[in-house]
Amino acid sequence: MTQQVIAILILIFFVFKLGLEWKKKSITINEFVFWLIFWVIGVFVIAFIKPIDRLVMDLGFSSSGINLVFYVAVLLLFYLIFRMRLRMVKMEKDITELSRKIALK
Amino acid sequence: MTIFCIIPAYNESKNIAQTVTSVLSYVDKVIIVDDCSQDKTIEEVGKINNEKIKILRHPINLGQGAALQTGNNYALRNGADIIVHFDADGQFLAEEISQVIEPIKNGEADIVFGSRFLNIKSDIPAFKKNIIMPLAKLFNFIFFGIKTSDPQSGFRAMTKEVAEKIKIENNRMAHCTEILAKAHKYKFRIKEVPITVLYKEFGQKFSGGFRIIKDLFFRKISG
Repeated sequence: MTQQVIAILILIFFVFKLGLEWKKKSITINEFVFWLIFWVIGVFVIAFIKPIDRLVMDLGFSSSGINLVFYVAVLLLFYLIFRMRLRMVKMEKDITELSRKIALK
Repeated sequence: MTIFCIIPAYNESKNIAQTVTSVLSYVDKVIIVDDCSQDKTIEEVGKINNEKIKILRHPINLGQGAALQTGNNYALRNGADIIVHFDADGQFLAEEISQVIEPIKNGEADIVFGSRFLNIKSDIPAFKKNIIMPLAKLFNFIFFGIKTSDPQSGFRAMTKEVAEKIKIENNRMAHCTEILAKAHKYKFRIKEVPITVLYKEFGQKFSGGFRIIKDLFFRKISG
């Protein structure tokens, strides 16, 4: 129970930071909504970890719900890093082409 | 045959004037690609009054590989038959340009790499000679099937056909391996000639080698 409260407080802190970024206009409305939904789902998962544990058992997994959440989170992070890497490579390529065009003008 | 020499330069105000002056008599055109230097590199080149010189300037710092490709693009658009890549730091000897382009002029090769390890003339730092370079050679052989004696040669000459085919995509130092790998892949006639390197500084460090491997790896997986 204490662990759940601490985890939820940390997530609330993230939501607060997200609000600050939104207020500073450093993120777009789409980013704000995405991360808000992301953290709110996180809060629900932690708050209802026991029913999720039961659901995980019913689905045939031997580990607890929190472990499954971690597995999914790690997979999601790897995917996001992959997407980010692709976008960075494309941006670097575009910047190089643009700089080259300026240099050769 | 019109010979263009591409000299990528980044913060080379100390050496650039001497390097550019030294190559002038061996080529028809010298292209200095300034990679957004923060020092007086451009001003130093500007002091040399010679119509063979052309300065191109990147608005942001991109890396040596990107600067060489910018130079190649300019050379191809302006009638180059042979393109020579030469470092700005004064480590190479301009008089050896003739030896490097000789096999191309004679029709023996499409691309020529200057090698520090053929008839060793250079005083190569021991750690570099005995540890870094053998590892780089092994890496090139395992991953690209390249067997050249110098795995990271920056002094090279190529025909315009080679420059048209090989587009340098690695902006930073991994371009040396990339050019070697693509020359093998496209089955160009490759030749190595011995060159002298005057070591003023250590040059590429061990950590730089890991960066090259990282760049090559990510370039490979991102297609």
